[in-house]
Parts: sequence; C-alpha cells; structure tokens
Amino acid sequence: MNIRLKKALKRAGIYALLILVCFTLQTGVFPLIPFLSSAPNLLLILTFSLGFMYGGNTGMICGLCAGLLMDLFTSGPFGFYSLIYLYIGFFNGIFTRYYYDEFITLPLILCAVNEFVYNFYIFLGRFLVRNKLDFGFYFMDIILPELVFSLIVTLVVYRLFLMANKKLDVIDQRRGQNAA
Amino acid sequence: MDNKGSKYMLILLTVFCAVLIVLSSIQNGAVDPLRNAVGYVLVPIQKGVNSVGTGIYNALSESRNLKYAYEENKSLREQIDTLTEENNRLKSDTLELSRLRELYDLDQQYMQYPKVAARVIAKDSEKWFQVFRIDKGSADGIETDMNVLCGGGLLGIVTDVGANYATVRTIIDDESRVSAMSQHSADTCIVAGDLMLFESGKLRISNIDKNASIADGDAIVTSNISTKFLPGILIGYASNIQVDSKQLTKSGELIPVADFDNLQEVFVITQKKQALPGALSPLDAEAGTGIAPETAGGEAGEPTNPAEPAAGEVPETGAGEEAASEAADPETAPMGEESGT
Repeated sequence: MNIRLKKALKRAGIYALLILVCFTLQTGVFPLIPFLSSAPNLLLILTFSLGFMYGGNTGMICGLCAGLLMDLFTSGPFGFYSLIYLYIGFFNGIFTRYYYDEFITLPLILCAVNEFVYNFYIFLGRFLVRNKLDFGFYFMDIILPELVFSLIVTLVVYRLFLMANKKLDVIDQRRGQNAA
Repeated sequence: MDNKGSKYMLILLTVFCAVLIVLSSIQNGAVDPLRNAVGYVLVPIQKGVNSVGTGIYNALSESRNLKYAYEENKSLREQIDTLTEENNRLKSDTLELSRLRELYDLDQQYMQYPKVAARVIAKDSEKWFQVFRIDKGSADGIETDMNVLCGGGLLGIVTDVGANYATVRTIIDDESRVSAMSQHSADTCIVAGDLMLFESGKLRISNIDKNASIADGDAIVTSNISTKFLPGILIGYASNIQVDSKQLTKSGELIPVADFDNLQEVFVITQKKQALPGALSPLDAEAGTGIAPETAGGEAGEPTNPAEPAAGEVPETGAGEEAASEAADPETAPMGEESGT
C-alpha cells in the first residue's frame, strides 16, 4: 500500500514537472522566437496524451492543472481555460481502451480534433460574443497553422511521452519485485 | 466503477470551473491574490528561461549581423550628418517653441512622462491574443491601466499586475480599443486592434467624422479625451482612409510605429491618466466632449501656422479649456458638429 502511494506520488511529481516545462516552453520560448508564426500547443498535447494513455481521471487532473496555469497567466475570466482542458482530458480518456504502444494514428486524429475543438471554444467564448463572425478567416489563419504545427510536434512528443512512460513502468516493476 | 467515478469528478470540476468563471466575471480581481502567489513561483522560471533564450538568440544573431555591420555603419554615418543638421535646426525650433510656450504660459511637457524599462518574459502562444508579460510588477510601482511604449510608439496597456510581473495587452489585440486623434487636426477617432489586419501589421481606425480632415499618412496620437491613455502618444500613421458605406463616418487602417514582432524591452509610463493634473474626469470627457480637442483643432487648422503649435497644445486639456473660453464663440459653434462622435 505504502509503495503504491509512493509510486503514485512520484508519477504525480513527474507530471507536474512536465506540465510546468510545457507551460514555460509555450509561454516563454515559442512566442518569443521571431520567425515562428505559429506555435504548437504543448499543454494540449500533454493533456490529451495523458488522458489517452491513463484514462479520464489522470487526463482530467492534468487538464485542470494545465488550464489553471493558463488562467493564472492570462487575464480573461478565470476558469475559462480550466474548463476546456478539463473536458479534453476527460473525453480523451474515453479512448484509452483503444490504447496500445506504437499506435500513432489515433493520437494524431485525436490531436487534430482536440486542437479544432479547443480553438473553436476560444472563438466562441472570446470572439463570437464580440460579434466577430468570420470563422472562415480565423480557421484558415489561426486554427489551421496551429493544428498542423501541433500534429508535427505530436509525432515527436507523443513518442517521448511513451518512452518516459515505459521507463517509469519498468522502474516501478523492479521496485515492486524488490519490495516483494 | 471507475467510469462512474470519473463522471462525478467531471461534473464536480465543471461546476468548480463555472463558479470560478462567474465569480471572476462579476468581481474583477477576485483571484488576484492567487495569481500573485503563483507569480512568485512562475515568474522566476520564466525570467530564467527567457534570459537564457535571449542570450542564445543574441549570440546567434550577433555573428550574422556582423556581416552587415560595415555597410550599416557607412549608411549610418551619412545619416548622422543629416541628423546633426536636422538636430541643429530643431534645437533652434525648440528654443523658439519654449519661448512661445512661456508667452502662452504653458508648461506642458507631455512627452516627458516618468518611465520604467521592463523586459518581456512571456507571451501568449496562441495567435488569438496579443498579450504578454513583463518582469516588473507592483513592487516596481507598476499599476493597472499604465501605458506601455516601445520604439517611440504606443504598445499597449497594463491589464493585470502582480508583485513581480504585469500583464500587458497590446493595441493590436483584437479586444483593444484606443481613443485617438489626428496630431495635425485633432479630429478624434477610435483605433482598434483587429486580428484580420494583424497579418499585414495594421490596426483599424474607425469613427472618424465624415468632415474630419484625417488623410492618409497623418500621424495618429492618443486623444486627450481617452480615459486610460495619456494624451499625445504617437500610435502610428493613417492609411487607406475611406468614407463608410453609411456616409456618416470614415474609417481606414493604421500602420503602428511600435514594432510588435520582436518585443524584448518595453517602457512603462508610471504616470496614469487618471492622476494627470488637469485631466478631465471620465464623465467630463464623455459629457463635455471635445471642447479641448475641438478648440485645439481650430487653432491647428489656421493656415498660417500648421502642425507646429498643435503638437504642444493639443494634449494640454487645461489650456484647451482656457483657450475655449477665450476663443470667439462663433469659432466653437461650427466645430460643435464634429463633437458628435
């Protein structure tokens, strides 16, 4: 029991660190690179990857943390980002039953859908309400570049998450055996 | 079991988020203490990452820039010559201006607001919003609604302050609206950020009176009837001004002076419009409307002395009012038409 708790805590710590790293990259590094016209949404990729790999609960908690960070950073209504990240974590958790290693097609599809839903949510919440209706323009100009960029990054980053995940599993198993 | 559990969790957390959204929408600043506390942890990280990043970037671009340095040096030298000449001329103009100001008993020095330099440490990665964070906060005397400058032009406004950081919304953000006027004729207008014009690096100007004399290339500065922006700060130059389809107003585009692509250092003006001596209170600005701009416009419009006095007098609200009382009544009457906006 104690070992399980320790394991869970350790994983939580690692995920918290991952969220922080993604957040820092996303707000402090990508946007300040002058020749990058669009940036991948790392927090979104992290949230849906965790949701997909470990199920809705993990996804929701991760999403909530990521969303809260975004809410604390931006100055819109507080909770706006938390809500969408929460739902993305939950809904990607539904697909966890189709999850197996090296299966990259579904994550890519999920990434595209998530990116679209996420940006559409921003469009609804922050633009449509101010009577800015030209969704076609916003789609071509903002959503699509970010979507493509995120897809490319997912190809790489998802593998990284998988690898880290496997390593963690191996370590956990060894620990478990030692303890036994 | 687990599935049911997650559904309850989802509902619970959804309610939690919804309550937060409603709370923060109703009461602005309800979550500020929380933001502040998290800022203590996050800002040092962002600062560190940022300084490493800019260090690398600057080192990389330095070697590349060296190639062009020689050519640049040559052209800059030529530029120095012309500028020195111009400077001399301007110096004498300044002397003349200060003498004239004394005559007018004006001590307006609107471009000498106290400023604080700050570094941009983080930016919203989404293209939806043009918001960034600087490494100075309330501990350095920064407050909300302070104006931010960069490259000699208006960049944005502080929307949110923590102890060691502040969030700035740039004027190109889609939600930004600045009350502005033409430096030349003091015709008022609204400069609004527009995501659709953002790609081409422009902003939208609207609500210009049909009879206003704003033309392409006119310098647009912040208006003195604005409640949050200090008067007389250069925003950019008007372009593509056209009469709207309703034939009542004109609108067009604005090319900003500030460089929004490569933000590193910005200046925050630590004086707020609300605290400006002689500033109209927001209500006055609304009700009394443009007594000041109109009169100033009337003076600037005199053919004998164009832009020169306008620059000094336009932002001086106090003087504007004085001038208004002094000015002949018939002069203000026809101008009243313009104050409709």
